[in-house]
Amino acid sequence: MNEAIKVTDELVFLDPKTLMIGKNAFGELIVELLDGSVFTKVEPVRSFPVTETLRYISLLDEEGNEIGIVEDVNKLTPNARNVLTEELQRRYFMPKITKINSVDGQYGVTRWNVDTSQGNVEFGMRTRYDIVTLENDRVLIKDADGTRYEIENYNKLDPKSIALLQTQL
Amino acid sequence: MQGSMSGSGRGSSRRMGMESFGGKPRFRNLKDGELTTTEEVPEILKKRAQELLDNGEEVKVSVSTDLKFDGTYGKDWVLATEKRLICFNQKGVIGHDIQEVSLTAVENIEVLEMYGNNILKVTTSDSAVELARYSKRLEPKFNLTVSELERLSSSETSDERSGGRRGLGRGGRQRRMRGGRGGGPGGNPQAQASGNRSRCEKCGHPIPTWSGVCVNCTQNSKLIFRLFKYALPYLHVMIPAFLIMMLIRLIGLYPAILSKQLIDNILTPVGNAVASGEQLPVTSWGHLQATVDTLGGWFGSMPLGGSFGHLIGIVILMAGVRIFIMATSSIRGFMMAWVGQNITRRLQNETYQHLNTLSIDFFHERDTGNLMSRITHDVSRLRDFIANGLQDIVGDSLTLIYMCLIMFFFNWKLALWTLIPIPCLIFFTFIFGKKMSKVYQVLWKRYANISTILASTIPGIRVVKAFARERYEISRFNEMTHQVFSGEMNAAKLGSLYRPIMEFITFSGSILIWLVGGWQIFQGDLTLGTLFMFQSYMMQFFGPVRTLCQMNERFIRAGTSAERVFDILDTPPSIADKKDAVALANIRGAIEFNDVVFSYDNEKNALNGISFQVQPGEMIGLVGHSGAGKSTLINLITRFYDPNFGAIIIDGHDSRDIRVKALRQQIGVVLQDPFLFEGTIAQNIGYSKPGASRHEIIAAAKAANAHDFIIKFPDGYDTMVGERGARVSGGERQRISIARAILKNPRILILDEATSSIDTETESKIQEALERLVRGRTVFAIAHRLSTLKYADRLVVLKEGEVDEIGTHEELIEQDGTYASLCQKQTELSRIRAW
Repeated sequence: MNEAIKVTDELVFLDPKTLMIGKNAFGELIVELLDGSVFTKVEPVRSFPVTETLRYISLLDEEGNEIGIVEDVNKLTPNARNVLTEELQRRYFMPKITKINSVDGQYGVTRWNVDTSQGNVEFGMRTRYDIVTLENDRVLIKDADGTRYEIENYNKLDPKSIALLQTQL
Repeated sequence: MQGSMSGSGRGSSRRMGMESFGGKPRFRNLKDGELTTTEEVPEILKKRAQELLDNGEEVKVSVSTDLKFDGTYGKDWVLATEKRLICFNQKGVIGHDIQEVSLTAVENIEVLEMYGNNILKVTTSDSAVELARYSKRLEPKFNLTVSELERLSSSETSDERSGGRRGLGRGGRQRRMRGGRGGGPGGNPQAQASGNRSRCEKCGHPIPTWSGVCVNCTQNSKLIFRLFKYALPYLHVMIPAFLIMMLIRLIGLYPAILSKQLIDNILTPVGNAVASGEQLPVTSWGHLQATVDTLGGWFGSMPLGGSFGHLIGIVILMAGVRIFIMATSSIRGFMMAWVGQNITRRLQNETYQHLNTLSIDFFHERDTGNLMSRITHDVSRLRDFIANGLQDIVGDSLTLIYMCLIMFFFNWKLALWTLIPIPCLIFFTFIFGKKMSKVYQVLWKRYANISTILASTIPGIRVVKAFARERYEISRFNEMTHQVFSGEMNAAKLGSLYRPIMEFITFSGSILIWLVGGWQIFQGDLTLGTLFMFQSYMMQFFGPVRTLCQMNERFIRAGTSAERVFDILDTPPSIADKKDAVALANIRGAIEFNDVVFSYDNEKNALNGISFQVQPGEMIGLVGHSGAGKSTLINLITRFYDPNFGAIIIDGHDSRDIRVKALRQQIGVVLQDPFLFEGTIAQNIGYSKPGASRHEIIAAAKAANAHDFIIKFPDGYDTMVGERGARVSGGERQRISIARAILKNPRILILDEATSSIDTETESKIQEALERLVRGRTVFAIAHRLSTLKYADRLVVLKEGEVDEIGTHEELIEQDGTYASLCQKQTELSRIRAW
C-alpha cells in the first residue's frame, strides 16, 4: 500500500564531495558535475534567503533551469565553498542594522537613519507592513526600493534604537 | 373532490407560511412537546364519532391538526380505532364534515411533504383520502401517528399484510429522507429529534439551528451564575478587592461627619466665643496639644469649644481620609484590572478555541462580523460586568445603607424627610433606564450593521468595483451611519433630559432639608453641623441610586452578551466524535457509499441515495452539472457534514465511527481557489504537516512544479504571501496548495476543480504535478473540464443528487448517455476556443 510517491524523487541534490565550483576569466561561475557536464554563467539562488543563508542553494544554469541544489554550503570542498560563499555574499546584499539613529515621519511612511554593518545609511519606507518580525526577535525591513535590512536580535540593540523600532512595529 | 382539495391547499401554502412567521406568540401556547397520539377529543366530535362506531369499538388514536384543509388555522381531528379511520374536516365552515375509511381497505399511508405544511393521506384500492393537513411544527406528532396507524392496520388485517408492508416501506422511506427531523416508523421521534431539535421541549419556542439552545428558556440569572465560573480562579484577588471596596465606601462617608464635628464642636463655639468677646487660647503649644487631642479622640466625642489646633487636627484627618481612599482605590483599581483582563483573556481564548472545533455549517449561518464582535465586544462587556458591575452594585447598596444608618442615628426625623424625594429619584431613574436601554439596544444593532457592511464589502471590494457599485455601497453605508446618528441623537435627547431632572430632584431634596432642618434648628432639635452633613449626604445619594436603578439594565446587557458568547460555547460541534470512535491510523482508502441521503436544509435533498464503491488507490472523476451534488459528496467524505441517511464506509468503518481528526489527517484537499495564510511560502506549504523539514518542503514544492517559480522570488521560500504579502498568481497559488497536499501525503485526495481557473500552459504544469500527486491514493476529482479527468480510473456522473452513470471514459462514451453528450459539448466548445 505504500506505493505512494516519495516526495524526494523529484529533487536533485548535488553531491558536495564531487561538485566543482569555480570562476572563469570573466568572473562567471562555473559548475562541473561528476558526469563531466559543465555549466557556465551559473546563478546561485538561496531557497530561503531569510532563514537559511547557507543551505538549500539552488544552482541555475544560463537559461534559469535548475542544475541542482546544494544542501549545505559548508559540506562542499573548501575551494567550492569559498567561491560559492563569496558569490552569494555578492548577490545577496542585506546590511545588518546595528543602531537606529532616527525614524521620522508617520503613517508608516518613514525615513530611517541607521548604522549598518556596511556603514551609515538613510532609507525610506513605504508601509509599516514591510517590517517583519521573525522568530528569535529577528527583524527584517524592506525599504521603498526593495533593499532588505536585517536586525539580528532587536532586543540586543541599544535602548534608544529599541524605543525607536517599537514605535514602528 | 380530493383533487380540488389538495390543489387549493397547495395554492395557499405560501401564504400560510408567511402567516406562521408573523404569528410568533403562537409558539408559547402550543404544547407539541407532549407528543401523544391520544388527545382529548371535544364532546361534540366524540358524539358524532360514536355514531359510526360499532359496539365495543375503542378509539385508539386521536390527534388534532393545526390547519384546516382550506389552509386557515384551526383544529381538525383524526381518530382511529382498530377498524376504521375517521377524520373531521371543517373545510372552513362551522361544523365538521366527517369522513370514514375502513382500516382494512387501507393500502398505503403516506405523508405528502409540501412547502410549509404536510398532508396525511391514505390510499385504498379505489380511492384516496386526505386525512389531515398540518404545519411542519406538528411533524413529530404525525410521524408518530403514522407509525401508530401502520401498527393498527397491520395487526388488524393479516390478509392485507403485504399491502400494508408496502405502504409502510414507502411511508417510512419518505420520512427517512428527512434526516433527524421526523421519527421513523416505530422509532421514538423525541429521541431522534434531540439530535437536531427544531423546537424547545419546554416552551415550544423555535430553537435557532446554530445555537442548539432555546433562547427563550435561557435565564439571565443562570447565565450570570455561569459567569462566576470565570471569576472563580481570581477569587484570591477579587475578595480582598471587595473588602477594600467595602472599607472605602464606609470611610467615604466619614468626611461629612468630620465636617459636622468641625462646625458643631469647633467653629460654632469659637464663633460664639468671638461674638461674646471671650478670650481664646493662643499659645502655639496649646494649638499642638489641641491637634493631638483631636487626633487622639477622633472616635470619641469632641470637647466642646475648640482652638485653631482642633481645626488643624480635623483638617489633617479629612486630608488623611481622602489620601487613604485615594491610595486604596488605586490599588483596588489595579487589582480589578488584573482580574478583568484575565477574565477577558480566558473567555476569548476559550471561545476562539471552541469556535475552531465547530462544524462548517455553524460558520455558514453566521456572518464573520457578528462572530468577531462576540469575541471582542461582548467578551469585554462581560469582563466589565464581572469585574466592576457586580462589585458596584454591592458597593452602592452598602453606601446607601451606611448613609441611612448614619442619618437615622443622628436625627431620625430629618432622615425621614430626606428620604422623601428618593422614591421619586428611583422612579425616574428606573423609567429613564428602561427607555435608555431600548434606545441603546437599537443603537447597538445599528453599530453591528455597520460592521457587517464593512465585513462584507471590504473583502468583496473587487466585485463592488467591477460592477461599479461604489456609489450604492457608499450610500448604503451613509444610510447606516445616519441611522447610528439618529440613534445616538435619541440617546442624547434622553440623556440631556435625564440629567436636569435628576438634578432638580436632588435639589428639591436639599431644599427640603434646608426647610425642615432649619425649622428643627429653630426648635433647638438640630445642630448646624448635622444639617450640613445631611446636605452633603443628599448630594451623595444620587450616584448610588442611579447605579442601582440601572442594575436591571446592566444585568440584561450582561445577560445578552453572555448569551451571545455562550451561544458559541454551547453549540456542540455537529460533527462530534463518538465516544467509541476509532482512530484509523492508516487508511487504505476503500470507500463505499451506501444509499447516502443528505440535505443541507431539510427541504431539498442534495444527495438522494448515492451508492457506489471505490477501491483503494482508485481515481474517481466526479462529473455533473453544477448542483448535481459533486461538492456535497466531497463535503461528506471530509466529514464537513454527515449523511442524514445511509452511510459512507471507509475501510469497513462507518465514517461517523472514525475520529474526525484521524480521518482528516489522511485526507488532502486541493481547492479551486486555494487559500494562502498570512506567512511565508514555506509556512504555507508546511501548514499541512507541522514540523516539516525544509528538505521536505522543497521536495514537495518540486513535485508540485512550484519550486522553479518559488526560487525566482527574491525571498524564495521566505516570501511573504497572504493578504498583505506578495502577489502570487492563481496558478502559482494552486501549485503551492498542491505542494501542501503532497507534503501531507494523504491516503484520500480530493481535487475540487483544481485546474479550472488556470490557463492551459499552467494547467499542463499543474496536471503534471497532480499526476504525481494522485499516484497510489484514492482520489476524488471534480472537474468541469473533462480533460482533467483523463487519468481517472472511473467516472461517476451525478444528476440531481443521484448516480446517473458510472464507468470508465470509454464505457460511458459507448453508453452514449449524459457523459457522452457532455464530452461532445466540451469538444465543440474547445474547438471554438481553439486550444
